[in-house]
Amino acid sequence: MISCVCMVQEGQITSDQQALLRRDTADFAQRHFGGEPQFNWVTVGKGNGFTEAKPSNSVIVSMNADRSLAPSSREPLLRELCEIWERGAQLSPNEVVTVIRDPK
Amino acid sequence: MPLYICNSKAGTIAEDAKARIADAVTRIHCEVTGAPATFVHVFFFEDGPQPPLGDKTAMIFGQIRAGRTEAQKAQIHEEMGAALSEHTGIGLDTLSVFTTDTPASWVMEGGDVLPEPGEEEAWLAAHEAKMAAQKEAVQ
Repeated sequence: MISCVCMVQEGQITSDQQALLRRDTADFAQRHFGGEPQFNWVTVGKGNGFTEAKPSNSVIVSMNADRSLAPSSREPLLRELCEIWERGAQLSPNEVVTVIRDPK
Repeated sequence: MPLYICNSKAGTIAEDAKARIADAVTRIHCEVTGAPATFVHVFFFEDGPQPPLGDKTAMIFGQIRAGRTEAQKAQIHEEMGAALSEHTGIGLDTLSVFTTDTPASWVMEGGDVLPEPGEEEAWLAAHEAKMAAQKEAVQ
Protein backbone atom coordinates (compact mmCIF):
# COMPACT_ATOMS: atom_id res chain seq x y z
CA MET A 1 0.00 0.00 0.00
CA ILE A 2 1.21 3.50 -0.83
CA SER A 3 0.41 5.77 2.07
CA CYS A 4 0.54 9.53 1.70
CA VAL A 5 0.31 11.87 4.68
CA CYS A 6 -0.41 15.49 3.74
CA MET A 7 -0.07 17.98 6.60
CA VAL A 8 -1.37 21.44 5.75
CA GLN A 9 -2.10 24.57 7.73
CA GLU A 10 -5.73 25.56 8.37
CA GLY A 11 -7.00 28.03 5.78
CA GLN A 12 -3.99 27.50 3.54
CA ILE A 13 -5.57 25.39 0.81
CA THR A 14 -9.03 25.77 -0.71
CA SER A 15 -11.25 22.77 -1.36
CA ASP A 16 -10.68 23.20 -5.10
CA GLN A 17 -6.92 23.21 -4.57
CA GLN A 18 -7.20 20.14 -2.36
CA ALA A 19 -9.10 18.26 -5.05
CA LEU A 20 -6.45 19.19 -7.62
CA LEU A 21 -3.59 18.26 -5.28
CA ARG A 22 -5.16 14.90 -4.47
CA ARG A 23 -5.64 14.19 -8.18
CA ASP A 24 -2.09 15.18 -9.16
CA THR A 25 -0.51 13.44 -6.17
CA ALA A 26 -2.47 10.26 -6.91
CA ASP A 27 -1.37 10.48 -10.54
CA PHE A 28 2.25 10.86 -9.38
CA ALA A 29 1.96 7.77 -7.17
CA GLN A 30 0.33 5.78 -9.97
CA ARG A 31 3.01 6.67 -12.51
CA HIS A 32 6.02 6.14 -10.26
CA PHE A 33 4.90 3.57 -7.70
CA GLY A 34 2.20 1.71 -9.57
CA GLY A 35 -0.75 2.29 -7.27
CA GLU A 36 -3.29 4.67 -5.80
CA PRO A 37 -2.13 6.25 -2.56
CA GLN A 38 -4.15 6.06 0.61
CA PHE A 39 -4.36 9.67 1.73
CA ASN A 40 -4.22 10.83 5.32
CA TRP A 41 -5.04 14.53 5.01
CA VAL A 42 -4.18 16.35 8.24
CA THR A 43 -5.02 19.98 8.89
CA VAL A 44 -3.00 21.80 11.53
CA GLY A 45 -5.31 24.22 13.31
CA LYS A 46 -4.68 27.95 13.41
CA GLY A 47 -2.15 28.80 16.09
CA ASN A 48 -0.96 25.19 16.20
CA GLY A 49 1.72 25.16 13.51
CA PHE A 50 5.18 26.65 13.92
CA THR A 51 8.22 26.69 11.65
CA GLU A 52 11.39 28.31 12.91
CA ALA A 53 9.31 29.07 16.05
CA LYS A 54 7.04 31.35 14.02
CA PRO A 55 3.54 30.70 12.64
CA SER A 56 3.97 28.10 9.94
CA ASN A 57 3.05 28.21 6.27
CA SER A 58 4.64 24.83 5.62
CA VAL A 59 3.03 21.79 4.09
CA ILE A 60 4.60 18.39 4.64
CA VAL A 61 3.85 15.64 2.16
CA SER A 62 5.18 12.22 3.08
CA MET A 63 4.71 9.28 0.73
CA ASN A 64 5.88 5.69 0.90
CA ALA A 65 7.60 4.33 -2.19
CA ASP A 66 6.86 0.82 -3.43
CA ARG A 67 10.56 -0.07 -3.46
CA SER A 68 13.91 1.07 -2.08
CA LEU A 69 15.23 4.01 -4.05
CA ALA A 70 18.78 5.13 -4.73
CA PRO A 71 19.44 8.84 -4.07
CA SER A 72 19.79 9.47 -7.81
CA SER A 73 16.30 8.05 -8.36
CA ARG A 74 14.73 9.63 -5.31
CA GLU A 75 15.80 13.24 -5.90
CA PRO A 76 13.87 13.80 -9.16
CA LEU A 77 10.79 12.23 -7.57
CA LEU A 78 11.07 14.51 -4.54
CA ARG A 79 11.41 17.46 -6.91
CA GLU A 80 8.40 16.46 -9.01
CA LEU A 81 6.24 15.98 -5.93
CA CYS A 82 7.44 19.32 -4.58
CA GLU A 83 6.54 21.05 -7.85
CA ILE A 84 3.06 19.50 -7.82
CA TRP A 85 2.45 21.06 -4.43
CA GLU A 86 4.07 24.41 -5.22
CA ARG A 87 1.91 24.72 -8.31
CA GLY A 88 -1.29 23.28 -6.85
CA ALA A 89 -1.21 25.20 -3.58
CA GLN A 90 0.50 28.35 -4.87
CA LEU A 91 3.36 27.94 -2.42
CA SER A 92 7.03 28.84 -2.58
CA PRO A 93 9.68 26.09 -2.48
CA ASN A 94 10.51 27.10 1.09
CA GLU A 95 6.95 26.27 2.14
CA VAL A 96 6.93 22.71 0.81
CA VAL A 97 8.56 19.71 2.47
CA THR A 98 8.38 16.42 0.59
CA VAL A 99 9.43 13.05 1.95
CA ILE A 100 9.61 9.80 -0.01
CA ARG A 101 10.22 6.85 2.28
CA ASP A 102 11.46 3.40 1.44
CA PRO A 103 9.02 0.61 2.34
CA LYS A 104 9.46 -0.80 5.82
CA MET B 1 12.55 18.35 8.98
CA PRO B 2 12.78 17.88 11.87
CA LEU B 3 9.07 17.65 12.45
CA TYR B 4 8.00 17.60 16.08
CA ILE B 5 4.36 16.63 16.66
CA CYS B 6 2.95 17.44 20.07
CA ASN B 7 -0.21 15.49 20.82
CA SER B 8 -2.08 16.11 24.05
CA LYS B 9 -5.38 15.52 25.74
CA ALA B 10 -7.84 18.28 24.93
CA GLY B 11 -7.51 21.34 27.12
CA THR B 12 -4.21 20.42 28.74
CA ILE B 13 -2.04 22.85 26.78
CA ALA B 14 -3.16 26.49 26.89
CA GLU B 15 -3.27 28.25 23.54
CA ASP B 16 -0.79 30.86 24.71
CA ALA B 17 1.66 28.18 25.82
CA LYS B 18 2.04 26.69 22.35
CA ALA B 19 4.29 29.41 20.99
CA ARG B 20 6.50 29.11 24.07
CA ILE B 21 6.71 25.34 23.72
CA ALA B 22 7.46 25.65 20.00
CA ASP B 23 10.18 28.15 20.82
CA ALA B 24 11.69 25.80 23.42
CA VAL B 25 11.53 22.76 21.12
CA THR B 26 13.18 24.72 18.31
CA ARG B 27 15.88 26.12 20.59
CA ILE B 28 16.66 22.73 22.17
CA HIS B 29 16.86 20.97 18.81
CA CYS B 30 19.21 23.61 17.43
CA GLU B 31 21.39 23.77 20.54
CA VAL B 32 21.77 20.00 20.76
CA THR B 33 22.26 19.26 17.06
CA GLY B 34 23.71 22.50 15.68
CA ALA B 35 21.02 22.51 12.99
CA PRO B 36 19.55 25.85 11.85
CA ALA B 37 16.10 26.79 13.11
CA THR B 38 14.91 27.08 9.50
CA PHE B 39 14.38 23.32 9.41
CA VAL B 40 12.37 22.96 12.62
CA HIS B 41 8.61 22.40 12.42
CA VAL B 42 6.44 22.02 15.53
CA PHE B 43 2.77 21.09 15.09
CA PHE B 44 0.24 20.71 17.93
CA PHE B 45 -2.79 18.43 18.01
CA GLU B 46 -5.35 17.62 20.68
CA ASP B 47 -6.44 13.98 20.97
CA GLY B 48 -4.82 13.34 17.62
CA PRO B 49 -4.27 9.81 16.35
CA GLN B 50 -0.48 10.14 16.23
CA PRO B 51 1.34 9.52 18.39
CA PRO B 52 -1.20 7.51 20.38
CA LEU B 53 -1.38 8.97 23.88
CA GLY B 54 -2.17 5.75 25.74
CA ASP B 55 -2.06 6.64 29.42
CA LYS B 56 -0.03 9.82 28.82
CA THR B 57 -1.39 13.36 28.94
CA ALA B 58 0.97 14.76 26.31
CA MET B 59 3.61 13.49 23.94
CA ILE B 60 6.17 14.99 21.62
CA PHE B 61 7.12 12.80 18.68
CA GLY B 62 10.06 14.04 16.64
CA GLN B 63 11.01 12.88 13.18
CA ILE B 64 14.64 13.94 12.95
CA ARG B 65 17.38 13.42 10.42
CA ALA B 66 19.36 10.23 10.90
CA GLY B 67 22.91 10.60 12.16
CA ARG B 68 22.38 12.08 15.61
CA THR B 69 24.13 10.29 18.46
CA GLU B 70 22.28 8.43 21.18
CA ALA B 71 23.55 11.05 23.65
CA GLN B 72 22.10 13.87 21.55
CA LYS B 73 18.76 12.08 21.32
CA ALA B 74 18.69 11.46 25.08
CA GLN B 75 19.41 15.15 25.69
CA ILE B 76 16.61 16.17 23.30
CA HIS B 77 14.16 13.85 25.06
CA GLU B 78 15.11 15.06 28.53
CA GLU B 79 15.19 18.80 27.79
CA MET B 80 12.01 18.83 25.68
CA GLY B 81 10.18 16.85 28.35
CA ALA B 82 11.25 19.36 30.97
CA ALA B 83 10.20 22.29 28.75
CA LEU B 84 6.80 20.73 28.04
CA SER B 85 6.26 20.16 31.73
CA GLU B 86 7.38 23.69 32.62
CA HIS B 87 5.03 25.37 30.14
CA THR B 88 1.98 23.16 30.83
CA GLY B 89 2.24 22.05 34.43
CA ILE B 90 1.96 18.44 33.24
CA GLY B 91 3.99 16.09 35.42
CA LEU B 92 7.04 14.47 33.88
CA ASP B 93 5.57 11.05 34.64
CA THR B 94 2.54 11.67 32.40
CA LEU B 95 4.34 12.98 29.34
CA SER B 96 6.68 11.39 26.88
CA VAL B 97 9.16 12.52 24.25
CA PHE B 98 10.59 10.23 21.61
CA THR B 99 12.20 10.53 18.21
CA THR B 100 12.65 8.49 15.08
CA ASP B 101 15.34 8.80 12.43
CA THR B 102 14.69 9.72 8.80
CA PRO B 103 17.60 9.72 6.32
CA ALA B 104 18.31 13.24 5.09
CA SER B 105 18.32 11.99 1.50
CA TRP B 106 14.63 11.07 1.82
CA VAL B 107 13.59 14.70 2.38
CA MET B 108 13.40 17.78 0.16
CA GLU B 109 12.86 21.20 1.69
CA GLY B 110 13.13 24.51 -0.08
CA GLY B 111 13.59 22.62 -3.35
CA ASP B 112 16.79 20.91 -2.20
CA VAL B 113 17.48 17.51 -0.68
CA LEU B 114 18.35 18.06 2.97
CA PRO B 115 22.00 17.94 4.02
CA GLU B 116 23.50 15.26 6.19
CA PRO B 117 23.96 16.32 9.83
CA GLY B 118 26.98 18.63 10.09
CA GLU B 119 26.68 19.88 6.51
CA GLU B 120 23.90 22.39 7.20
CA GLU B 121 25.98 25.56 6.98
CA ALA B 122 27.21 24.90 3.44
CA TRP B 123 23.73 23.71 2.42
CA LEU B 124 22.08 26.87 3.75
CA ALA B 125 24.60 29.14 2.05
CA ALA B 126 24.12 27.39 -1.29
CA HIS B 127 20.35 27.31 -0.85
CA GLU B 128 20.09 31.01 -0.01
CA ALA B 129 22.31 31.90 -2.97
CA LYS B 130 20.10 29.82 -5.25
CA MET B 131 16.92 31.44 -3.91
CA ALA B 132 18.42 34.93 -4.36
CA ALA B 133 19.44 34.13 -7.95
CA GLN B 134 15.95 32.82 -8.73
CA LYS B 135 14.37 35.93 -7.23
CA GLU B 136 16.66 38.16 -9.26
CA ALA B 137 15.88 36.26 -12.44
CA VAL B 138 12.14 36.81 -11.91
CA GLN B 139 12.52 40.58 -11.34
